[in-house]
Order: sequence, then structure tokens, then C-alpha cells
Amino acid sequence: MSMTHENYKELMIASALSALDAADARDFQAHLETCAECRAEANQWDATAALLAFEATPIEPSPLVRERILAAIHADNRPSLSSQASQSVQHDQREPSQGRIGSKVIPFERPEKNVRSAVSPYYAIAASVALVALAISLFVIWQQNRSAKNEVAKLSSELSETQQQLAHEREVLALITTPGSRMTELAGTNVAPGAHAMIAYDKNGHAMLMAKGLPAAPAGKAYQLWYIMGSKPMPGRVFATDTNGNGSLQDQVPAEAMNGAVFAITLEPAGGVQSPTGAIYLSSGA
Amino acid sequence: MSGVQTEQILDVELLHAIASGDEAALARLYDQYRVILFGLLVRILGSREEAEDILQEVFLQVWRRAADFDEKRGKPFTWLVTLTRSRAIDRLRQLGARQRLATSAAQDQPGEASDALKDTVRSEQREIVQRALAELPEDQRRTLQLAYFEGLTQAEIAAKLDSPLGTVKTRMRAGMTKLRTTLGTQLEAIG
Repeated sequence: MSMTHENYKELMIASALSALDAADARDFQAHLETCAECRAEANQWDATAALLAFEATPIEPSPLVRERILAAIHADNRPSLSSQASQSVQHDQREPSQGRIGSKVIPFERPEKNVRSAVSPYYAIAASVALVALAISLFVIWQQNRSAKNEVAKLSSELSETQQQLAHEREVLALITTPGSRMTELAGTNVAPGAHAMIAYDKNGHAMLMAKGLPAAPAGKAYQLWYIMGSKPMPGRVFATDTNGNGSLQDQVPAEAMNGAVFAITLEPAGGVQSPTGAIYLSSGA
Repeated sequence: MSGVQTEQILDVELLHAIASGDEAALARLYDQYRVILFGLLVRILGSREEAEDILQEVFLQVWRRAADFDEKRGKPFTWLVTLTRSRAIDRLRQLGARQRLATSAAQDQPGEASDALKDTVRSEQREIVQRALAELPEDQRRTLQLAYFEGLTQAEIAAKLDSPLGTVKTRMRAGMTKLRTTLGTQLEAIG
């Protein structure tokens, strides 16, 4: 049954209160797209409905909500670490996938005549030529099959890498949107002026660090996170960077470092050390 | 020009600034509306924790979608409340009936009123709207409240109140029409 213009007017008030069932709400929205008159009228009802908000008792939210919103939009305003990382993954992924799997398959042609019926002195030669051609075709197909398999393996490994990246980004998002979570920026020092990192941690000290623009660590070396309270550095975990100088790390902030610690990253032996020995690459201290 | 109208113009300017990436403008808009929107969210969701989550989501959405705001279609207040309520109702419907029971219980407890609001011009608007609501017959007011704060559809309200669907529709239309008439010209200034 199709609705008339008048029917839609009936739905307007209920729509302003979101009291339509899903099917009617969809119909009504579709109608609004095409009817300026109803749209204007619906806006009026929306304005009346919005006033009902005044019936609720005003309540002050925790100041942490403001902090979290501002931290999130600030991270959103600059090219974020995670979106750059995901862009680079997408980019890397595009290039190899341009190889057209199966595009070079040679069609297998059936001979027009039954060769056995042809009595000819050249029969043996023709048969040999056909055999050789068949062998070559088989070899080509086998090679293509092998390269297709390699391609599939490569794509699956890229897919799993992308999935890991996505899972990682979800964890980061979950962490920064947890009530009470905090975010701190680490800036590159003179040793690595182009480097940048962000550490987010929740009230239980579950932390995630995302770093970019770090120089490649020499063999046997890795980057290590430090929590510095006063003059006391507490060791965090070590992490490696990819070829673009991006790296990430999950760690537990020591209880003593939950309030007011400076975060720093140094280059250390790959297994990590108990007190820093290498140069500071990134630091949250001014 | 009244204080409220000046406020509306400022809000429109704030939304334009937010659309161009001005973080301070978002902070100002938040400061202006946090108390009323948070009160609304607590009333709908019955939980401060859920309400804080949604409040955060709403302002992140404002940040990303400020460019969609069209002042010809409505006021910033309407846009913000509609956004907030629609997020809250979505969450409520996700949480399902179990949460609704808790919500009804929570509504009986008086909320923590904000001092910040008592001094602002908005407390005057609150009184006007609350008076208009108080003038509605009880069955109409209840119907509006069930839709607005509990996210019930007309069919769900009919089932809950054990009334025919037609009656619910009539009460809803009558209540909203009366509200709009009572508030009349004041609607222009409020929100």
C-alpha cells in the first residue's frame, strides 16, 4: 500500500519522537528526501521535540569526559599515527595485487580432426610436435599455477597483516575511549627530530604506544620505552620498527609511574636493559 | 535582540568554526551544552557511565559532522539534542529490555542538579517548557515521556499501557500539538 502525502504528515510527530517502527521510519525518511514541504514541517516538529530535553534534570558530567573529547579531537586534527599506518598498509597492498592472476592462461585448443584417422608419413613427426607442444603448455600452466599460488600466499599474508593492523587500531580506539584513559605525546629529540609517538593508557596502566618516523635500528638493537619518575627510570618493553620507521608496543605502566611520569624511548641492545644506556630518541618531557 | 538569540548566532558561528577544525570552538560548545545533554542522557540511559560514553561519542560526531549542520533546517540546539537523543535511543535499543527496567528505576531518583545551570538564561527556558508540559493531560504527557525518554515506539507504548494503538497515536499528536501551541512564539527564542 502506498502512502499519500497526508499519511506522511501523520508520521511526522511520531518521527520527531523516534516513535515510528523501523519500516515506517524508513518510508518517512525516503519521502523527506523528495518533499521540501514535509521536510520544513518535520524540522518544526523536531524543534518542538528537542525542547522536551528541558524536562530532564541537568547534570554535570565528569571533567574527564571533556578531557577525553579534547584529546580525541586533537589526535583527529593532526594526521594520526594509526591512519597513516593504515594508509601505508593499503598502499603497499595495492601494488602486488595488480598482477592479474590467470590473465596469461593459454587456451588449450582441440585439434580439428582426429589425428589417428590421418594416414601420413608425417604422422609420427606431427605426433611428436603435438606432444612437445603439450608438454610446453603443461609446463607453462604449472608455472602459472605456482606463481598464482605464490600470489595468493602473498595476498593472504598481507590480508592477515591488515587484519592485525585493524585489530590493533580497534584496541587503541577501545583504550582511548575507556573512561579515565589518558594520552601523552612524545616528541623526537635532536637525535630523531622527525620522530613522533603517542602513548595511551587506562586507569589500570594498560598502555599502548604508537611511534613513527624512527630511524631503522641497527642489527642487534631495538627501541625501549622508559617511565621516568623524578630521576628514576623504570624499564618498559622493547619494540622493533618497520621499514617506514613505524612501531607499536603494548605495555603495563608501573603503578609508581601512573601519575606524572615522563615517557622516553632510547635505543638499546635488542633484549632490553634495566637502566638506559643509549641516546634518547623520543620524550614526553619538554 | 534577546540574549537567547545572540546565543543562537554564537552557536552557529561555533559550529562553522568547528567544521573548519577549530578545537577551542568545540570546547566552548561542549561547555555550553554539556549539562543539559548529560542530564538528558542520564535520564534516557539511567547510568552515568553509559551517559558519559555517549556524550563523548556525540561530541566526536559533532566534531566530524559539523559541516553537515544547516542553519536553514534548524537551530544548533535542535541539532545537538536530536543527535544526542538518537545516539542514546540507539544504545538503549541495543541494551534491550533489561536496561530499561534499570532506567525506569533510576528515573525515580532525583538527579544531581548542576549549579552551573541555575544561573544561566537556560533555567528560564526550562521553566517555560516544564510549565507547558505540566499543563498537558497526564495520559498525553506520559505518552510523550515514554517515547522521548524510554525510546518506545507507538506500538510498544500501546502494549505497555494496554491501550489501542490508535489511542496512543491520538494522544501523541494531541500532546505535541498542544506543546507547540503553548510554546508558540517562544519557540523562536528557545533553543
